[in-house]
Amino acid sequence: MSATLERTPVVTTPGTGRPPRRRWTARRYFVGGILVLVCWAMLSPIIWTAMSVTKPTDVAFLNPPVFFYEPSLQAFVDLWETTQFYQYLINTLVVAVISTVVALVIGLPAAYALARMPGWISAVLLIAALVFRALPRFAVVLPMYDLSRALGVYDTTFAVAAALVAINQPFSIWLLRNFFAEIPKEIDEAAMVDGCSRWQTLVRVIIPLMGPGVLTAGIFMFLFAFQEYLTANILTDISARTVPVFIATQLGQTLPMLQQAGAAAMLLTLPVVAFAFVAQRYLVAGLNAGSVKG
Amino acid sequence: MRRREFLGFVTPSVLVMAGLLVLPLYQTIVWSLQRVNYGEAGEYVGFANYATALADPRFGQAVLFTVQLTVVVVIALIIFGYLLAVLVNSLGRSKPFVLGVLLVSYVVPHVVGGAMFSWLFNSNFGGVLNYAISSVLGTDILWFADAWPNRVMVALNTLWFMIPFAMLVILAGLQSVPEEILEAARIDGAPTWRVHWHVIIPSVRGVLGFVAIISIMDVLRTFDQLVALSPQAVQLGNESVMLYVFNVAFQDGGQQLGLGSAVNVLLIAIIAVMLYPFIRGIAREARHA
Repeated sequence: MSATLERTPVVTTPGTGRPPRRRWTARRYFVGGILVLVCWAMLSPIIWTAMSVTKPTDVAFLNPPVFFYEPSLQAFVDLWETTQFYQYLINTLVVAVISTVVALVIGLPAAYALARMPGWISAVLLIAALVFRALPRFAVVLPMYDLSRALGVYDTTFAVAAALVAINQPFSIWLLRNFFAEIPKEIDEAAMVDGCSRWQTLVRVIIPLMGPGVLTAGIFMFLFAFQEYLTANILTDISARTVPVFIATQLGQTLPMLQQAGAAAMLLTLPVVAFAFVAQRYLVAGLNAGSVKG
Repeated sequence: MRRREFLGFVTPSVLVMAGLLVLPLYQTIVWSLQRVNYGEAGEYVGFANYATALADPRFGQAVLFTVQLTVVVVIALIIFGYLLAVLVNSLGRSKPFVLGVLLVSYVVPHVVGGAMFSWLFNSNFGGVLNYAISSVLGTDILWFADAWPNRVMVALNTLWFMIPFAMLVILAGLQSVPEEILEAARIDGAPTWRVHWHVIIPSVRGVLGFVAIISIMDVLRTFDQLVALSPQAVQLGNESVMLYVFNVAFQDGGQQLGLGSAVNVLLIAIIAVMLYPFIRGIAREARHA
């Protein structure tokens, strides 16, 4: 891992930060015991959902609940065969990929410029970005709904992706600007003395240097788009519906459909859970460097 | 960096934000002064929408509910976030694994997390937690049909998905407390709780304040989880301000778009006031640069 992430404090590996402490063992057992309980409590909604959706449908939602059962994946099969889940999943991924790529392409140069040019224009732009980051979504999404109907792009993945690029742009600018600010200006000057233009300096020297920072920002953009419910709910109807919206519409349904919604929730959750482990250092770095959280 | 280069670099991003954030926001402000429907020209009514909102008991209840939720959740976030950060900070090799588990609730979409939470509590769907609690108490708690149990459940869910953020930021703060000060306090024989109260907490005060402000702004905008956890929010008085906006300005064809927009503007004003310390910090930095 390169310099950018090593400078953020939480990601220090054991041994590099403070010296290992010799602890009273009873205390360590106590701490361990509490943390095991906390982890278990934090995971319990997901564990219980995983159990509910692998039960045979007739006992899935019995009260009192059944704890021992023959596991079955029927709910997943039904979800795949009787609903448009596949389509919703594709929509979600298309929206997430497009909005991430566009957000980075327009956000990287802007953040770089803001990090390198102090002064009142930058301050005004950064303050505006901060205010827009904290805006209640409906203040921009309801007018977007009106606009998307007028332009005929209502219920398209394009409209959702465009909305998310704009909504997440303030966060990505802040995050990237903080990563750029960690790279010394002398590197830019050296590159330009060697004959690079500003643009070449950014693309060939600075962005490769902050690779993990770019990845962190990309991960957050993808995650925000993947999680988004409110915007997708307002801007889509049937054809561009995303998975979180689909799950929310199924909640009022009865048993077989509800169990399928649970299966959909598990299919959406498992990749992001794996992701929380694999991309952990980027999530931690982003949450700390972001200053303005999403 | 020359001004021309600067403008070239920021223009695409600024154009997108101007077109898709500033213009819509302007539209919201205009709507808030009109009686209007989607796709139609509005009729100017002055501040009538604001007057309607402030006189509507349902809006009053939404504000009360949102503020209650915010106070309870933010206090709990600071306390439990701090305790959890202290515990995680003392871990060695198992830290990445524990952090991974604790991050799970942060990455799950809120509406999906809310749905999963509701299945733990719903007796119609064999919720295990509801079953355990009613076995112990001997009576059934109506988590979805009674106002207060529903509020408790919503608060727990909000805490569940926000605590990873609080914990991680406080953890970073804890790691920047100089080891020498802690060493000195321990050599002086201070018991653990006094080290925390008199040494560590004062030195991470800034971080705690940051977590508090960001969390307050987030909980004030509560929406997603209520869709899953409180289907009867209106009847129970458990509408958040954002859910109120959604219900009056979108749900039934948006009969009261002007009213919803007025509430949006009021919420923006409150959030802008809360952002003031950050704004002052940025402005000061710009002046000294």
